[in-house]
Amino acid sequence: MKRSNEPFFWLLFGAGGMVAALIGAGLVLVTGLLGPVNLIVPGRAIDYAHAHAFAAHPLGKLALFGVIALILWHSVHRMGEVLHDAAHIGAAVPLRIVALLATLALGWILLAI
Amino acid sequence: MSERRIRIEGLRYNPEKDTQPRLQTYDVPFTDDMSLLQGMQYIKDHLDGSFTFRWSCRMAICGSCGIMVNGNPRLSCETFLRDLLPGPVRVEPLENFPIQRDLAVDQGRFVDTLASVKPYVVPAQEKPLSAGPHRQTPEQLAAYYQYSQCINCLLCYAACPQVGLNEHFVGPAALTLLHRYNADSRDVGWSARADVANSEGGVWGCTLVGYCSQVCPKAVDPAHAINQNKAKSALDYFGLRSLLGGAR
Amino acid sequence: MSEIRIYRRPMAARWWARNPTYRRYMAREASSFLLFAYALTLIYGLWRLGQGQAAYDGWLTWLASTPALLLHLLMLIAMVVHAVTWFEVAPKTMPKTGLPERAITLGGIAAAALGSLFVVALAIWWGAWR
Repeated sequence: MKRSNEPFFWLLFGAGGMVAALIGAGLVLVTGLLGPVNLIVPGRAIDYAHAHAFAAHPLGKLALFGVIALILWHSVHRMGEVLHDAAHIGAAVPLRIVALLATLALGWILLAI
Repeated sequence: MSERRIRIEGLRYNPEKDTQPRLQTYDVPFTDDMSLLQGMQYIKDHLDGSFTFRWSCRMAICGSCGIMVNGNPRLSCETFLRDLLPGPVRVEPLENFPIQRDLAVDQGRFVDTLASVKPYVVPAQEKPLSAGPHRQTPEQLAAYYQYSQCINCLLCYAACPQVGLNEHFVGPAALTLLHRYNADSRDVGWSARADVANSEGGVWGCTLVGYCSQVCPKAVDPAHAINQNKAKSALDYFGLRSLLGGAR
Repeated sequence: MSEIRIYRRPMAARWWARNPTYRRYMAREASSFLLFAYALTLIYGLWRLGQGQAAYDGWLTWLASTPALLLHLLMLIAMVVHAVTWFEVAPKTMPKTGLPERAITLGGIAAAALGSLFVVALAIWWGAWR
């Protein structure tokens, strides 16, 4: 019986799912709903100076990389399952390649800030 | 007082005559205390002797009478006609299994996968008879007791879409028994069944739909049995089998 | 003796729409598409940030537009669906703890509410005091 390689991706899926569950809603609120319209969260919080200060700091980079990469790996695992369950398409491998490319792009972008 | 009747639509398939199944309708008189199984027995005894279905104990312990009732996996002996009013009641064979005849399915897939999980105690060390019986504390018994209550009724296989989608998936009841024996202190533990558990058809075939645990008539909770072993399989994958407590 | 012909029923194309449990499962799984979209949104925003003030200000302008706000509203709903269903199934992935499953679920959802509240509070502090 062939051993599955799922565990590696499942651990990433689990970590990303936990991060998204614990802070995901707050992140969407800050970056996409409250911050941009200066409601409750001041618009200053996400203006160029503040966003750059956060992303330029090594800890800020680490936090951004960790959170975004984990959400990437969590979501592609589940999207693969949806395509398998609803459309009988085995897309796990292409999706992992997409996640890898996005992770590399994220790292590149963060290092450049 | 006039007799109350309920309409039962049964899937019919005669392998010697039919190329595909069809539905046949029966009007069945009933009383409040009648189970669906009794309604089906009325059909067989009075309306259509060819109507075929499995049953035995009539009390939800043998696991023989599993069918689809209005699209949901149920034991016909434990389903009451009064709860299905006004009808019609659609009875079909268990989902995800090939049909042998009418409501009887071919259970071969389950029988084969059950054998593959070694559903018996694999002792950590061979004890001679003279050593006497194994002893277990109440806590050791509690670790596996719930998962030993399975009556092999296959409702969980009918409920699980991964059984339908993935022909290699070992399935809820078999994986639950895998866990039941791993969790038994008399058993050697994880290593005895790791190859099945770690495969794509093992715990990794489950996507935690959870319907299996909802339909189980014995509250075995197969979803829990399977998914608490994903972490164990992951530890095993990274060579940390020794951390699995009790496993050898 | 005639050969016994077993009949194999094909699986329904939209099996996942057939009962409440399956629909809930598919909603949980489908939330992942919007979570993926959010991750890509953040990556894109960071890229604009790296290109300098003018590029990033353009990004902020788009974020305040109606289509962007609607998209983020959908992504917020997906995050909430994800968090709630995540903790609904979490007890099944853990060995028995002695706690009732409901307690683990509610505790997790409470932690998620606190976590998101903390993020918002942090952002308010970041914008107001830094």
